[in-house]
Amino acid sequence: MEQRRDTFIDNASAALKNLKQAERRDIIASFAPQIRAAAIDSFEGFGDLRSHVKKIRQHSLDNLDYYLSQFEKEAVHNGNQVHFARDGEELNSVVLDICQQHDARRVAKGKSIVTEETGLNSFLQSAGLSVMETDVGEYIVQQAGEKPSHIVTPVLHKSADEIRELFQEKHDLGPRDLHNTSDLVVEACNVLREHFLQAEVGIIGANALIAENGYCMLVTNEGNGDLCANLPKVLIVCTTIDRVLPRAEDATAMSRLLARSATGQPQSCYTSFYSGPRREGELDGPLETHFVLLDNERSNTLASNYREILECIRCGACLNHCPIYTSVGGHAYDSVYPGPMGSVLTPLLTSLEQSHLLPNACTSCGLCEEVCPADIPLPDLLRDLRHDESTKKLSAPRWRYGLKLHSWLARHPSTYQALTAISIGILYRLGRKRGGFSKLPFGSGWTSQREFPAPQEGTFMKLYKAEIKQNNGR
Amino acid sequence: MGGSARSEIFASLRKTGRGETQENVQRERLSLGSAPAPEPPATEVCEAFILNVLKNQGSVDCVSNRSEAVQAIAHYLYAHFHNYRLVTGNDSRLGAMPWRDAGVLPRFGSLEAGEPVALSYARLGVVETGAVVTWTGKATPAANNFLPKHHIVLVDKNDLVLTMEKAWERIHHAFEKTGRARGINFIAGPSSTADIEAELVYGAHGPHRWHVVLLGDVPVDARNIASAAGSDQT
Repeated sequence: MEQRRDTFIDNASAALKNLKQAERRDIIASFAPQIRAAAIDSFEGFGDLRSHVKKIRQHSLDNLDYYLSQFEKEAVHNGNQVHFARDGEELNSVVLDICQQHDARRVAKGKSIVTEETGLNSFLQSAGLSVMETDVGEYIVQQAGEKPSHIVTPVLHKSADEIRELFQEKHDLGPRDLHNTSDLVVEACNVLREHFLQAEVGIIGANALIAENGYCMLVTNEGNGDLCANLPKVLIVCTTIDRVLPRAEDATAMSRLLARSATGQPQSCYTSFYSGPRREGELDGPLETHFVLLDNERSNTLASNYREILECIRCGACLNHCPIYTSVGGHAYDSVYPGPMGSVLTPLLTSLEQSHLLPNACTSCGLCEEVCPADIPLPDLLRDLRHDESTKKLSAPRWRYGLKLHSWLARHPSTYQALTAISIGILYRLGRKRGGFSKLPFGSGWTSQREFPAPQEGTFMKLYKAEIKQNNGR
Repeated sequence: MGGSARSEIFASLRKTGRGETQENVQRERLSLGSAPAPEPPATEVCEAFILNVLKNQGSVDCVSNRSEAVQAIAHYLYAHFHNYRLVTGNDSRLGAMPWRDAGVLPRFGSLEAGEPVALSYARLGVVETGAVVTWTGKATPAANNFLPKHHIVLVDKNDLVLTMEKAWERIHHAFEKTGRARGINFIAGPSSTADIEAELVYGAHGPHRWHVVLLGDVPVDARNIASAAGSDQT
């Protein structure tokens, strides 16, 4: 996964200046939480379901060697070939080998964040294959030569006008003007329909793998993943080892959380389960099927204190509620996985040295944990990564020394109160007439954007103690 | 490469795993029980199923017998296409329908280019989600579910189950006799996308209309809900 997360601050600054994109992020920030809240409010047992799925996910990860082995056995029994890949490079090579064995030239791809992680598209294209993303959003992003900005709605950053211009440039539209959004969708789907029908290989991701019967679960609203799974003569399912669940009912229990948290639906339009090639007498379906199961640091993460991030179900709720993500958008993270879950996962999949700024993209507001259907303590994991960052001396020295000073003061409350009383007293005297400060020593981060309000006389502790004293005197 | 990758990954997982016996792992999973399901929107099964199908932007016809089913499908076809043609899988239940009585001309097979309507006979209907369940095979080519502009699905009232857990019980039971199908599809509405500016558009890659025909002794109140919604004939 080639990333440059050291650019986060520059990317974020540039994103904040792009007001048109900011408007669209505002829409998702207000709309997505509302539809999620409505879906959850109408399901009284949602909290119990969340706890149940959490226990199942923990149990699965605790016994991952057992369940992965069971999945492999059942998948092979169903007629699949199962491959393992230690890293992205291995996954890409396995997929290319399969394509080349079939002399494939065209690949139709369903949405798969895992293959974004491994850079599969460019790898296959460099080997001469034509690779087409078939999810409408992913297709648009691919045509624009960009990266997805959201794990559920990948083209959130583009307006309908920009997409219309893109199609005018890339497609032979003739007199058609693609006036409405539905025209744009139909245009994309018409182009993709041809590709579906011609592709020799279909590649999809999986929302879950089921140990007891060897199926994968695929959840979509468009049905493009199902076309990839059913029309080409070869199907390759690319996913990661941590997706295994014990039973089929565990996968559909997870889908109850997923659909409500991602799009506010009780169930996505298509929840499908696939395993194995065309059976005797069938008129369609692939003749050969493969699972490629990627590790890429998951087993190391499982052994670490960050294992709970592997319970993420990729719903995007933490992104939609995060004040940082909704302010700067997905591209600022320069990672396949943006937002709070991505700020935990990316350093684990790459290295903290490469990605240490991302865990700092957090206000510690706690909303991500509150809305996470997998009940992952994201703020705690982000804080622990920041602690590791500091321990490894990756953050700026003045920041580390500042934190050390703050830590010492927090452990010495009398000194802390005395120092804040002095500071507040000075600020009060200097600022009481003008009401605020446009410049402050060590405060440029605040004052460069807005005035710092002058405090009232006396600290909170001083007022609190006076109140206690007065009450005791009554 | 594959062999050593597998060995390394499993070796790594064994280090973090608990190393429990198969019996202990299965016992622990059993002790975790089943997931809570949402309450249906009505106490009567057909009513609840219909309400959820409508919520999924489907339309519903309720019919008492196979003859009525054919008539309802014929009305739907004529209302939308001014003809009586459709494609359906080689399902013996559909083969035995009195198509001629209503002038319907089914072609048995997999959907081909230029054919806008396919009919599937669902194995199950899930009340909880308003979904129909099919599995791949000669009787249900996958193309018939995902490629037509209009997807009509026939569901027997007796095949309605309350939850997805109950659906899996029925699926596992059926597969004990026939072996596992290649694919199982829970379908809960027409194909849709909201990828462009969060505007919901129906008919992305798959059907833009999804019509459910519920067959059996459907109570009057449930029939009334379906006919009040009544958008299927236009």
